[in-house]
Amino acid sequence: MNQRPRLFLVITLLFFLLPVLILAAQSFSAPWRFPSGSGLDWELGSYEQLLQSPMLWKATFTSIWIGFIVLMLNVVIGVFTGKALTTVPLKGRPWVEALLLSPILIPVLAIAMGLHIFMIRAGLADTVLGVIIIHLVPTVPYSIKIFHNSYQQIGRAMLEQPHILGSGFFRQLFTIELPLLKPALRSVTFLTIVISLSQYAITAIIGGGRVLTLPLVFFPFLESADASVMSAFSLWFAVIPVVMYTLVEAVILLLPYSRLPWRNKR
Amino acid sequence: MKKKGLLMLFMTLLLAACSSGGSQEEAWKDMSWEAVEEEADGTEVRLYMWGGDEGINRYIDEWAAPRLKEAHNITLERVPMDAAEILQKLQTEKQAGKQDGPIDIIWINGENFKNAKENELLAGSFTNKLPNFNEYYDTEDPAFQTDFGTSVEGMEAPWGKVQFVFYYDADQISEPPSSFAELQNWIHDHPGKFTYPRAEDFSGNAFLRHVLYAQAEEPSNIYENSLSEADIQPAAESTWAYLKDIQPDLWRSGEHYPNDLTELDRLYSQGEVWMTMGYNESRAESLIEDGVFPESTRSFVLEPGSIGNTHFLSIPFNSSNPPGALAAINFLLSPEAQLAKFKPDYWGENTPISFDQLPEDMKQEFEAVDRGESVLSTERLEESFLPESEAAYVEWMKEQWFDEIVQP
Repeated sequence: MNQRPRLFLVITLLFFLLPVLILAAQSFSAPWRFPSGSGLDWELGSYEQLLQSPMLWKATFTSIWIGFIVLMLNVVIGVFTGKALTTVPLKGRPWVEALLLSPILIPVLAIAMGLHIFMIRAGLADTVLGVIIIHLVPTVPYSIKIFHNSYQQIGRAMLEQPHILGSGFFRQLFTIELPLLKPALRSVTFLTIVISLSQYAITAIIGGGRVLTLPLVFFPFLESADASVMSAFSLWFAVIPVVMYTLVEAVILLLPYSRLPWRNKR
Repeated sequence: MKKKGLLMLFMTLLLAACSSGGSQEEAWKDMSWEAVEEEADGTEVRLYMWGGDEGINRYIDEWAAPRLKEAHNITLERVPMDAAEILQKLQTEKQAGKQDGPIDIIWINGENFKNAKENELLAGSFTNKLPNFNEYYDTEDPAFQTDFGTSVEGMEAPWGKVQFVFYYDADQISEPPSSFAELQNWIHDHPGKFTYPRAEDFSGNAFLRHVLYAQAEEPSNIYENSLSEADIQPAAESTWAYLKDIQPDLWRSGEHYPNDLTELDRLYSQGEVWMTMGYNESRAESLIEDGVFPESTRSFVLEPGSIGNTHFLSIPFNSSNPPGALAAINFLLSPEAQLAKFKPDYWGENTPISFDQLPEDMKQEFEAVDRGESVLSTERLEESFLPESEAAYVEWMKEQWFDEIVQP
């Protein structure tokens, strides 16, 4: 039994940490031509190239902005739909659930192409709003599913209790439900941001190049054989969800009954 | 029922609102050049182009855009997008009847041009309006008249040209092969040190078409004729025989081919194979500088020759600023812009401009450019130049290569 944690550690290091470290090392060095026998030449050329690109900053902020709005909408839609699915008596609930999940079963590209015509006519094509709406398609079904499951775990009894005690809707939401939904909030945050951030095709179609997100700048570089620039770009890409996750974590602390790290140390 | 009716009404209104807004803006076709430049003054032009090369991006962002702003007060915005996606977008916009599209200029050639032209996604003939094109380019050049066998009809303006070359590491290979027969022997002598990308890849397909050219009696039998499977039967047969013959001595015994040129480049970069290839005779320069390719990388071409093609700038049917697009294209075709593109600092790409039509001092500047050691001389490239075949050969090669080489 003592072997287990060690084995876990070795596997984690080998398959998770090592690749990331190699990626980081490559991003700070000239492309490594491994069989030539030479070691890594440390340099910052790839980051210089990256940060020189005037589109990078603009695209990064656009991506963050879109990701943030998509996340907010996901939380609102997910929480209310998840709660409704748990509490409202409904005939044929499995059908409704299946219907709500269907956008992830149909290829999102097909949806985007169909929606594109509609969005052009409605004046939403080539706008940030259009991109936000299309990013809801591959994210909302997951959020609904996650919040729905969490509400079911909380159980009806727990939801009826505050109602009986005379709490209003929002008071109940903020003091009881959201604190209990913290794990779900975390999952939804991470999932939504990562999905929204990595949408290339649908952003290109609906955003039409007028809305420039990070993948639109980044993905063409996948066709480059320059491993250093690729690594630097990948790390840049990975930092965004981590930063946003941290921010959301800070926001979650504001919920009632949160154990603040600087208080209640037990 | 009532709800449905309302929805229908809403949709019809939407449709009506859209179609009425679409007045054809074709006024630019009858404008004088002075009027075009006047109209273009102070406008914004959006150039949609593939964005995967830092050198090309920097040429537009750092060299072209500021100078265009200064000279003509036009703001040039580069938007990174693949040609196939641009066409998809235009197609949908056409379907939806959108007349004020966001795209003003597209970078295009070959199959994409053919599709765009056939689906009427382009604004129409415009090259005869461009002063720089008429003055400095050989307008009758067959390379500008047809694009992969599709008649250009003035719907796109030549921006650059590239030729297909092979790259090798001079430290490993002292004397590169000079014909496809010699390449065959070289592969057998150095098993595992050569491979080519799959036929689905743009560059891999070009390699295969080179083999087809080499196996035909005359390369002109292929590029001068439209595709007829019966006519090229003998050449096709010996092409498959050639490819099957080299297959066992390819990298990984030919059981696996690189999916695209990038993969082949990585193999070459790692020293797994000793040769790579690709359009753009000067593309190794920046890769050497970045340390991706070894410094001893040089290039060569094989008998019977090397295929080259021209790439173009065009204007989509629903550009909201055709005068601005015309002025910007005219600027990008100017000798100054072409010279900067020709120098290895940014892009290092060959120019379609005609040296004989340039003023003497400009001509000298072009001739004085040192393109780098990995680039073959202009004479060598010109004497080995072969035109592209019709675009249909590309599709044919994809299917046949899979059936003949991968399947058995």
